[in-house]
Amino acid sequence: MKWQFSNDAPIYTQLIEQIKVGIVVGAFPPGERLPSVRDLATEAGVNPNTMQRALAELERDGLVFSQRTAGRFVTEDKTMIEKAKRGLAERHIKTFLAAMLRLGYQPEDIVTLLRQETSEEGSANGGSGM
Amino acid sequence: MLRKLLKHEFRATGRIMLPLYLILLATSIGANFSTRGLLETDLKVLDLLGGLLVMAFAVAIIAVCVMSMVVMVQRFYKNLLQDEGYVMMTLPVSVHQQVWSKLIVSAVWFALTIVMVCLAGLIMAVDIDILEGIGEVFHEIFQHVTAYYALNGTAIAAEFLVVCFLGCCAMCLHFYTALAIGHSFSGHKMAWSVAWYFIIQFAVQFVGGMLVVLLDESWLHHLLLGWTDSWKISGMAAVHFGMCVLIVGELVYGAVFYLLTTYFLKRRLNLE
Amino acid sequence: MAVLECKALTKNYGHTAALDGVDFIIEPGRIVGLLGPNGSGKTTLIKLANGLLTPTSGEILVCGIAPGKESHALVSYLPERTSIPTWMTTNQLLDFYQDFYADFRRDAAEEMLQHLNIQPKQQIKQMSKGTREKVQLIVTMSRAAKLYLLDEPIGGVDPATRDYILSTIIGNYDPEAAVVISTHLISDVEKVLDDVIFINQGRVMLQSSVDQIREEKGMSVDELFREVFKC
Repeated sequence: MKWQFSNDAPIYTQLIEQIKVGIVVGAFPPGERLPSVRDLATEAGVNPNTMQRALAELERDGLVFSQRTAGRFVTEDKTMIEKAKRGLAERHIKTFLAAMLRLGYQPEDIVTLLRQETSEEGSANGGSGM
Repeated sequence: MLRKLLKHEFRATGRIMLPLYLILLATSIGANFSTRGLLETDLKVLDLLGGLLVMAFAVAIIAVCVMSMVVMVQRFYKNLLQDEGYVMMTLPVSVHQQVWSKLIVSAVWFALTIVMVCLAGLIMAVDIDILEGIGEVFHEIFQHVTAYYALNGTAIAAEFLVVCFLGCCAMCLHFYTALAIGHSFSGHKMAWSVAWYFIIQFAVQFVGGMLVVLLDESWLHHLLLGWTDSWKISGMAAVHFGMCVLIVGELVYGAVFYLLTTYFLKRRLNLE
Repeated sequence: MAVLECKALTKNYGHTAALDGVDFIIEPGRIVGLLGPNGSGKTTLIKLANGLLTPTSGEILVCGIAPGKESHALVSYLPERTSIPTWMTTNQLLDFYQDFYADFRRDAAEEMLQHLNIQPKQQIKQMSKGTREKVQLIVTMSRAAKLYLLDEPIGGVDPATRDYILSTIIGNYDPEAAVVISTHLISDVEKVLDDVIFINQGRVMLQSSVDQIREEKGMSVDELFREVFKC
């Protein structure tokens, strides 16, 4: 997993986001044990307390759960993961929309543009002969 | 912890002193060959070689003596007052242990240097009549002096050794004090150290001179005179007394230096 | 109990104050950045904590005791300049640390040396400046101390080594111990820190957690630092 951090938000919220992405894309598969706090912190190059805080938050949301001795695990609840995925998507869409509105596009123009872009992408993929 | 400090101190200094001693012994063997014949041959080459060997021996003696002084000073200021001080002065040991470890190790090297120089001298002179001659002369002097002054030669010798040993320690502490004070300044640390060495030297001589002046015709003088008069103390006892005074004097002198050194290391340390 | 505590700590050099009434507490389990421009008093503070200087007034306590031989056993210190005896080989240096510090973990040191390809039989004198710094950092981090005082640990090393040092600090994390990192390279260490202490002209200007700064100011500690200390 690649960890990247921006300057404008607290590190623990960025960690939550990136672990969520990891769970959604399957880097941390459902039901699997997560690496220890120390290992995750070392991998991400962040403070172990901050990592601990992010994991505690994820635990509160139910995306991960801990077993007293065995450590932390990713939830097996697929709908929960789906919900997280949806939440992430909404966040991306909101940022995207805000940026487009600032550029002066109307919502319907945005939809048209998006449709064009996605069909182009689809044909580009089809053209590659996969 | 003092034991560990001593161990590492011996390791750090031994790597310099031990090879020097070996060289000294090697040159003494060379000088032995030389005195046993090389110098008397008609061959110019051997003659020259003999001369060189004797010279090497002399240089080695000087080198060993000079190096034991240099090592004493160097170990104190490089190890405690320069960069290495950051490591040494943050070890879980007290400043007293630091100073003692330096002092003991230096004293041991001084003593060993004397032993080695004597040993090298013996090796050079081995098998040569001079050696026996010297031995006899010393023995005779010892006997005569003992008989003549009715003194206890062993006691005097022991006292003399103590005086030498303490004097040697006091000399080390004199250097340590000057370095510790000099390095508490923020600049020109070495220049200040040299200056302090002489300031202390001057102070010691001044105090010594004052004592002599003050004690002359003082109550102590009369007390001593009274002693000799009333108890009929022999000249011999006076010598012992003098030695003891010397020893006490050296102890006081060393103790003052020791206190100054530890104070400046503890309270006025100023590493760059 | 606080691992490091300063109470109205003041240190004067002649008439100039290097530290002027510094108060703060560092709790165990925290990694703290001591941040400030050059000459702000960071090194003076760390030297005071190590007993290499004596306070003019006020107090500095390590685990409740004044700096001295007892506190030295609890503190692992990386000075700003390389100060390990250079005549030793790395192995001899490990012997030295093992002798004096009961908490020295030789296996950890050997593993790190191997990881950085440092020859245990090489004399430190023969190493490059950067390698010497690494060796000293390794012996410092190989102790299981209560307080690590790292004075500019990443100043003179290349970015790859910098990452290795920071991950060593993270990997070495102990909830009972605190780490103080003094530096002016804030963007590199920011993610590793719990708290920061801004220090300028001998005074504490700010003590806060990294995430609190980001949350409240909407900027990184590095950006805040640049703003506070704008020339």
